[in-house]
Amino acid sequence: MRKKIPFTFIIIVLFVAGFSCNTVYQSQSLQHNNYRINETQRKDSALLNFLQPYQEQVNKTMNDVVGTADKSLDKKQPEGTLGNFMVDAFLSMAEEKYATKADAAFLNFGGIRLTQLPAGNVTTGKIFELMPFDNLLILQKLKGDILQQLLDLTAAKGGWPLAGITMQIKDKKAVNVMIGGKPLDPNAVYTTVNSDFVANGGDNADMLRNIPQITNGYLMRDAIFDYIKKMKSQGKNIHADIQNRVTHAQ
Amino acid sequence: MLISKTGLPMLNRKKFIRQAALAAGALVAGPSVLQASGYFSPLKLTILHTNDTHSRLEPFPMDGGRNQGLGGIAGRAELISRIRREEEQVLLLDAGDIFQGTPYFNLYKGEPEIKAMAAMNYDACTIGNHDFDAGMENLATQLTRHANFPMLVANYDFTGTPMENKTQPYKVFKKGKLKIGVFGVSIEGRGLIPDSLFGATKYSDPVQKANETAAVLKRNEGCDMIICLSHLGNQYKESNKVSDEVLAKESENIDLVIGGHTHTFLDNPIVYKNKKGDDIIVNQVGFAGIILGRLDFEFSKFSGKKLAKNHNISVSQKTGG
Repeated sequence: MRKKIPFTFIIIVLFVAGFSCNTVYQSQSLQHNNYRINETQRKDSALLNFLQPYQEQVNKTMNDVVGTADKSLDKKQPEGTLGNFMVDAFLSMAEEKYATKADAAFLNFGGIRLTQLPAGNVTTGKIFELMPFDNLLILQKLKGDILQQLLDLTAAKGGWPLAGITMQIKDKKAVNVMIGGKPLDPNAVYTTVNSDFVANGGDNADMLRNIPQITNGYLMRDAIFDYIKKMKSQGKNIHADIQNRVTHAQ
Repeated sequence: MLISKTGLPMLNRKKFIRQAALAAGALVAGPSVLQASGYFSPLKLTILHTNDTHSRLEPFPMDGGRNQGLGGIAGRAELISRIRREEEQVLLLDAGDIFQGTPYFNLYKGEPEIKAMAAMNYDACTIGNHDFDAGMENLATQLTRHANFPMLVANYDFTGTPMENKTQPYKVFKKGKLKIGVFGVSIEGRGLIPDSLFGATKYSDPVQKANETAAVLKRNEGCDMIICLSHLGNQYKESNKVSDEVLAKESENIDLVIGGHTHTFLDNPIVYKNKKGDDIIVNQVGFAGIILGRLDFEFSKFSGKKLAKNHNISVSQKTGG
């Protein structure tokens, strides 16, 4: 009997050692589920309480209505109403704030931060969501060949909002480019309105990196607020249409 | 005398088996423990995940927009708590772009976002391009003050920046008997993040870094499963642009990629074959915390020799719950 105890002990050691060396756990199956968090989802009261003081402050500054959208505006490629509205605002306000005539305005597609601006009242907060970045509205004088390179980039990326220019996308290049109603001249110099983000080479706009920027520190977001006010003073709501500014070549 | 494969005399073999069974019985208290041990029923791990939550602390407002009423931290937190009550082993992960998108970020620079994630007990996140938006110093401050979870990124070198020592390449989580390695990779900053914000951050090839890190997790850390938190984007038309698809196909040793950046709503996770012919899963759940992703993995125990040449996973939609 005395011999049995150490024997059992050895067996235990062998058993444990035998299984723990050279063995692995490996995933064999996966079950997946997407939970859509909607209004019927119960809320965690601790998190609701936590958020409340922040929420009050946000509501105080963000809930006033700045304008009215006639219809919902959408973020779409190659052209969408929301993008058109924004570049119209940039072109118009840049001309006013820099007291100069500009030929074109651009916005990188990724810079539109709402997929949709719903119809009806538009609040300050909504415009912050649309353009949350503190990007500056700047001017650059671009030679036609550089402008063509920029437009080719927008074509390769599926089309960006443009004001003052119409173009078609063919094989990831910009073709049939018209600016101010005339074909783009590679040797002409155009005054363009852009964000400092793209002008600094953002969204792969490397061709713009070394081109001087004219800037007075005016925020793109403020351009949208000011444009809405300006339209309102003319009795107009927030509005834009698809105008075949950017299309795919047939 | 006959010698069996166990090296014990044949005569003793029956006795050995009986003793072994007794010993095993002595080691475990009962059938429930036997089950949990993973010898007889599979071990389970539940992964919950978000990406590109973009400061959406409240649900989308009821303004007629297509996402109205969706998302919000209070709903997400309640759902996570419920799942934690039902499941023993849970990992809660985020794939970056926590910041930017609502006025909360303009006013508070990410404080409530990080505090809310800490309250929900996130286990880890990676860094997204928009997490730089209020500057690296701000990000470092928010993480230092409010995070109780690590920010993981293996392909950014923050030496000499305010983010130095604020991130780590990977973390190993012990989940019951399982060892889970989690690491992060993020997107090229040049051309995406303004130079003034990306600063002296050094980016390196995410595929190479992912494979290096996964090899460390597999060989040195002995992980049973390796998860990559990626802010690279799901897939791109440009064939030369690195994405989760490219990473998955070129990877070794990674089991799962939790993706972000492209705001892709996937109905089902995508299964790719990696470089060695093993299955690798890629998932992403849109943006703004509209969806909480859930992946329940079941594990079996194998002797190293008995592992199939290639690792395949059967994938199905979870019913109920």
